[in-house]
Parts: sequence; C-alpha cells; structure tokens
Amino acid sequence: MSESSNAAATCEAQTADAQNVIEFSDVVFSYQDAPSPALSHVTLSVKRGEFLSVIGHNGSGKSTLARLICGLLDADAGKITVLGMDASDDKLKKEIRRHAGIVFQNPDNQMVASIVEDDAAFGPENIGLSREEIGERISWALAAVGMTEYRKSDPSRLSGGQKQRIAVAGVLAIKPEILILDESTAMLDPRGRREVMDVVTKLNKEEGMTVILITHFMDEALRADRAVVLNRGEKVLEGPPEKIFESGELLETFNLSLPKITKIARELEKAGMKIGDVLQPAEIAEKIAANFEERGISRAESSPYVPEKTESAHDWDVDIRDLNYVYSKKSPFATQALKGVTLHIDEGEFFGIIGHTGSGKSTLIQHLNALIKLPQAGKHFRKPRQKKGKPAPVLPSVTIGKYNLADKKTDFKALRADVGMVFQYPEYQLFAETVADDVAFGLKNFRKNLSKEQIETAVKESISMVGLDYEEVKDKSPFDLSGGQKRRVAIAGVIVTKPHILVLDEPAAGLDPRGKWEIMELLHKIHREWCKTVIIVSHDMDEIASNCTLAAALSEGRVWACDRPAAIFARADELKALGLDVPLTVKIAEELKSHNIFVHSDCTAEDFCKKCIEAYGGDSNA
Amino acid sequence: MLNDVAFGQYYPVKSFVHKMDPRVKILALVAYIVALFLAKTFYGLAACFIALALMTLFSRVPVLRVLKSVKAVFFILIFTAVLNLFFHSGRAENLLWHWKFLKIYREGIIFTVFFTLRLFFLVMGSTVLTLSTTPVDLCSGIESLLKPLTLIKIPVHALALVMSIALRFIPTLIEETNRIIAAQKARGADFESGNIFKRIHAIVPILIPLLISAFRRADELADAMDARCYAYAKKRTRYKKLTFGWRDAIGVLLFAALITGVVLFNVYGARILPQYYEYLVLR
Repeated sequence: MSESSNAAATCEAQTADAQNVIEFSDVVFSYQDAPSPALSHVTLSVKRGEFLSVIGHNGSGKSTLARLICGLLDADAGKITVLGMDASDDKLKKEIRRHAGIVFQNPDNQMVASIVEDDAAFGPENIGLSREEIGERISWALAAVGMTEYRKSDPSRLSGGQKQRIAVAGVLAIKPEILILDESTAMLDPRGRREVMDVVTKLNKEEGMTVILITHFMDEALRADRAVVLNRGEKVLEGPPEKIFESGELLETFNLSLPKITKIARELEKAGMKIGDVLQPAEIAEKIAANFEERGISRAESSPYVPEKTESAHDWDVDIRDLNYVYSKKSPFATQALKGVTLHIDEGEFFGIIGHTGSGKSTLIQHLNALIKLPQAGKHFRKPRQKKGKPAPVLPSVTIGKYNLADKKTDFKALRADVGMVFQYPEYQLFAETVADDVAFGLKNFRKNLSKEQIETAVKESISMVGLDYEEVKDKSPFDLSGGQKRRVAIAGVIVTKPHILVLDEPAAGLDPRGKWEIMELLHKIHREWCKTVIIVSHDMDEIASNCTLAAALSEGRVWACDRPAAIFARADELKALGLDVPLTVKIAEELKSHNIFVHSDCTAEDFCKKCIEAYGGDSNA
Repeated sequence: MLNDVAFGQYYPVKSFVHKMDPRVKILALVAYIVALFLAKTFYGLAACFIALALMTLFSRVPVLRVLKSVKAVFFILIFTAVLNLFFHSGRAENLLWHWKFLKIYREGIIFTVFFTLRLFFLVMGSTVLTLSTTPVDLCSGIESLLKPLTLIKIPVHALALVMSIALRFIPTLIEETNRIIAAQKARGADFESGNIFKRIHAIVPILIPLLISAFRRADELADAMDARCYAYAKKRTRYKKLTFGWRDAIGVLLFAALITGVVLFNVYGARILPQYYEYLVLR
C-alpha cells in the first residue's frame, strides 16, 4: 500500500464515529517461521449493522483477520478494538467473544455434541446462563437458521449445508452483535452455500446483525454492502462490491476473478451494449433486452447450437448396467445409494457427473475401479434363484475396456492402475516423507519390477505433468507445500501409472478462483496428453458447462439424464426441481426468452456472449 | 456400515425401556449385576432371568440380538466352564469321574452350570442397556452419576465433555479412515496379503494422514470452542437435564425387589425344596 493511501485510511479511522464496531489500525501479524507477515499494516473499520465481505486468494491473510478480531490470535503491532474493547487484553477476550461470534470453514470441526440442541447449548452454557434461557436461545437460534425440526438430530447425519447452519446456530445462541463467517461456505455444495448465505443475509437485514463474510466466492461478495480485498496480507482495495469489480484485470493479479455475471456484462459492453452494475440474472436480461429494444429489435434469435462431433476408438469405453447399491444393508440405517444405474461413457470424453449430495455420485465412481465390488465378484456370492411367476433377477454389470468387473477372476489391481481415482481433497491422503516418495507410492505398488531409474523417470514426468518443478519439490515434505501444490502432488501420485481413465471427485473443491481455473486447465492437459477419458464429479454447473463434452445428472440414485451439458441444462426447470443448479448463462437465457430473445449457446460464458452479440447484430470483436 | 459405530448397538425403537432415565438404567444394570453375584441359589438366578426377560420384552429389542451378544464372550465362557468343570473340588462321595489329575465332582457340574448361566445373563443384561440407550445418553447418565466427585475436585464436567467430543468425532473419523483407505487402495495399496510385518507396514499410509487430520481437526475444534466462550468460562451451566419419571420409579422398584428377592432366596432358599437342596443351592 502506498504511503498516501495509508495516511488517508488512518485519517478515516480517526474521524469515524462511535458507530464503528470493529477498528483495525495499522495491524501487523506474522506466524512463527513464516517468511512474510500474514497481515501487514492493515487499517480497517466496520460499522454497526454493516455487511462487509473480505475477499482474497488462499493465504491472503483473510482468516488471520477473523482470528485477530476474536482474540484467537494477538497482533504483533497495531491496535484492534472491538466494540471499544482492546482485543489483545486477555481480560476482555471473553467479553469480546460474547459479542463477536465466528463460524469456521469445516462444519464437522466445530461441533462438540452428537445432538443438535446439545451443541447449540454449548456457548450459552459457557456464559453460565440458566436452563430456561438456554432453551429459549436454542429455539430462537435454530429458528433463525431454519433448523427447528432437527433439534434432536445427530449432526453427522445431516448434509453439509445443514451442518453449517447448525454451526451458525451454535454461534447465534450466544447472541453476538457481530457474526464472522470464515470461509464458512467453502466446503459446501451450491445448495448448502445458498442455504447458509440466505440465513446470513436475513440476519443482517432483519436482525441488524453486523456481518463479516470472508470468502473467495465473488458471487457471494456481491451480497455485501462493502468489500475489502486482501492480497498477500495487504489491504489493496476497499469499497462497494460493484465498484471493486470495476477494477477487472487488477483483481486477477490478486488471484481473484470477477463474478461470472460481471464478466458477462463486461463482455457484452465491449460490443456496445449498455449494462452497468448488475447482480441478478433477471437484471442483466432486462438490460440486454433494453439494448435490443433501442436498436428496434423486437425479436431476436441466435444461430442454433451445433455440438461438435468427435470420433474416437472404443477400446476404453465404460459400460455400466443395472447398478444397485445399498449402504448399511440389513441395518435400521440402510440407504439405497444407487437404483439401477445404466450409463455408457465412450473413450475420449471429458465426462461430467452432476448431482447434489447424496445422489449417489461417489458410490458410482467407486465402482469404476472396484473399490466397491459388484456382488458377483464378492467372495460369498450365490446366484439369486428365480422365483416362480417373477422375472429373472437382473445382475448388474460393469465393463471398463478389457476388464469385466463382474468376474471374480479379473485382475483388480491392474484395473486400478488403468483407472486412476482422485478423491475429494486428495491432499489429505499424502503421507510420505518426500514428495517424490509419495508420488512413487502407487507406481511401486502396481509395478513391482521397475528399476530405480525407471521409477525416478516416471515420478519426474508425473510431477512435471502437474506443473511443478521436479528438482525443487522432490525432496520437500509434502506437508510443507501450499494447498494448491499439495493437490497437484496428490494428482501426480495417481497419474504416475499413466491410467487410461482418470476419475476425479470434486477436483477443484476449496480452491480460490485462480486455483480452480488452474486445476481445470491441468485436467485438460492431462486429457490431451495422458489419459484417454477424464471423468469429473462436480457441484459447479459452470465448471461442467465450460469443461465437459458429455455429462450425466444423477438424482436419488438414478441417472436422470446423460447428454451434452447444453442439452441437460436446457431442461433448467426440471433441474431446479431436482434441487440442482444451472449455469448462470442458462438462467440469463431463460430470462431473455420472456423478452423474445433466444440465445442458443453451449452454456459457456464465452459462447453465450458471442451468440448474444450475434443476435444483437454487433461484432464481438468491435 | 462402520458409520454406525457411534450409535454403538443402539436399536432405534420407542419403548418403555428406551424412555427411561439413563441414570436409572445404569443403576439398574449395576443392581442386576450385584444381584447376579449375590445369588447363591438357582432361585435367585431365576429371579434375575425374569428381570432380564422383562427388560428385553419392554425394550422391544429383537431377542435374537440379545442372545447373539453372547457370541463375543463365547470362548472365555467355554474356557472358564471347562476349568470349573475339571478343577472345582467337592466332597469325596460325589466324585463322578477322574483321570489322572482331572476330577469331576457333582458340585463341579452344578457350579459350572450356575457360573455359565450367570455370565450369560450378565452379558445379555448389559446388551439390553446398550441396545436401548444411545451412547450420548449413557454419557450424560454417567456424568450425572459421577457429579458428587466434583466435591473432591475431579473435573467431572471436563471428562464428560471429552466423552461427548469423542462420541461426536467417531463417525467423522471413521468416515475419514474409510476415505483414506479407499484412496490408498486406488493407488494400489494392499492391506490384505503378506505376513504380519508387511501388513503393519501397509498401515503407515493410512495412519499418517489420519493422525495429521485428527490433529488438524483438534486444532480447529479448539479454536471453535474458544470462540464460543469456552476459554474463559468460569461457571458453566448445564442445559441438559435428565428427568426421573414414572417409568423410572417402576424400574427402581423392580430392581430393588430383585436384590431383596435374591438375598431372601440366599437365606431361605434351602427350605423351599429341601429334598433337592443340594442341587439348587450352592455352598
């Protein structure tokens, strides 16, 4: 930060009135052994009742900021006041925490009890409230997050979004004036994210609660009154979110991206349309329609969407028929995860699997490399007998290339070398002392007779493939790497056997916008150069729309649709009824229909803008 | 399947026993065990059996589940039964069979039957408790019963919180373990073959990520608890309150009657059927 803006900020803090609930002046904080400070010279104030969002890439210091407010960390220099209390004063910390509650990222790691109401009671118990008062607060807090009916439930049986709402209720029960959300939506699926964001927005608007939302989802930041951007521990931008997003390219240098809607708006503006600041699909559709009207276009239609045809060999097709799977069979908690799934994936596809939590996606992909074996391949399988008057029982079948997974004699180990599987948050499976050893683990398991040199060559290739410098990282401990690097190492550890098919569960989960983009680019590179077929499971519809050649939507253990993403997303209303999201472009296109403007795109932002401009009669390069 | 460990054996139905206060259930089990060990007559044992049958009936848990619970202690049972049978001494005129140092007396047979039944009943009784009570309820029951220990400066509440957190994290950690196992299997790890040393070595890729994750979770949980005012809490209150109801009163009466009955049988049992005295009453 330059000196003049620094001085201006300090000045602003001094003239601020007593309405400021949080004040940071020139705060510096470094973690032990860290080469650079996590926060350097941050000056910031938050007004009562304000909705502030703090945005920044992974490692930008935004979580540190949250912990400093609650006195979970103490600043090295500078001063932090919360409601007039000095946050570094140990005697005041309890008081501060009564007034500033914080919800963390992982809902699982915030709960102390196995029953929702007991967990919500934890905070009030610590303050020493009476039983009756605690009971009232639990009722109020659970109602505020819309979880009243789950009062007696076990949190471990709830969905991610529900768990996080319980965590919010646990903090609300303390009745704080300030609610801090430290990336509380990062691990949730779109539905869960929306649930939590709706609760938080309501608390801010209706209860007048001061909210500090720490996030790297730009679309969430749009909901705030004001946004602060952190980059490498420094406050680099501050202002209303719309104004911040005007700085476009500058944001990308901070490893952030524009909200998708702003990106589309800017792209259309390049072609001469007047759009301005928009937040909702309906708003942008209206603005687009106004532009069309201005040109006297009452009805417009873009050229139809023509899917590209690709021809490829069929040596590594995936074929799944009549697949059923029941968890906790014969127990009171039995749940049928898959109900007759039939699916065919041609070699060469970049295949997407979508579906909300619990739709059976993870169960399905675990069948692909026989982590879950078909019943026929089990030890004690007996063929079910045909009962009189009933059709013959149908047995599931899965074939992948030359492997028949219904056959006991199949070499499942060889299959696993040919079908690579990357689980969610794969960095949590790293264990070896050095990166090179960890990457070599799978290779050594699968190919016993390799020489040291052969292993080294393969590991080197694999690490280079994921975009890391072999010489630089090979002897490092995987735990010393950054989050994004760890994930790359974990992927390298799977592709080291050069599998023909690579399956990834939520490969971009938890990464910041730039990290997400980089991982998807990496997958395309792997698809082009190493793996014939790539299958990804994702919650992010835009990710599917812009990356996949084909996609399957799962719902309640069934394949609801399997088609080109554009064709699946064309059934927007049905998807919404299933609780699934659609890409933003589809939402805008739907809105435009009511204005007699028909845009047929492949659902990616680029193609949407191109088609929209084409219908507008403008030149996208103008 | 492993995900249900936190529920232990809990069998989710609504029943008389399910609705009882966990404290009463724990004390009832203690009373039942005391009665089993006090009993010196088969009459007393029969009384215990009636109590067990009532508990099973009114908890609506499947009888087979209760019977199967004995499987876990089956080998210990056989082992001790054999020892008792051959080494329990008796009066010389009651010696039925002998070979070298192995002798079987009539008293030995009676004692073995008695002992085996006692152990059977003990295991089955405990099973009814765990089938009808969630670990969470058990935990708060134990906490409440141990409360007097706070007087001698034992941090009962902190211990209870530790238990509660442990229960809370069992499903999470099991899920995590399953995920790590799956991930390493996908990388060709083999946990099923090879000798014992190879297998122990094979656990390393599971253990290290699991430990790291557990520590990470502990760190985050500590922060989350502190942020919810745990750190400077001096006087904590407790929301959960266990209530003693009419069902509990019936339970208390039943088990008080059981102990009394057993003691009475011990004292007067010999007079009931004097002709079979030797077979029905242990000395």
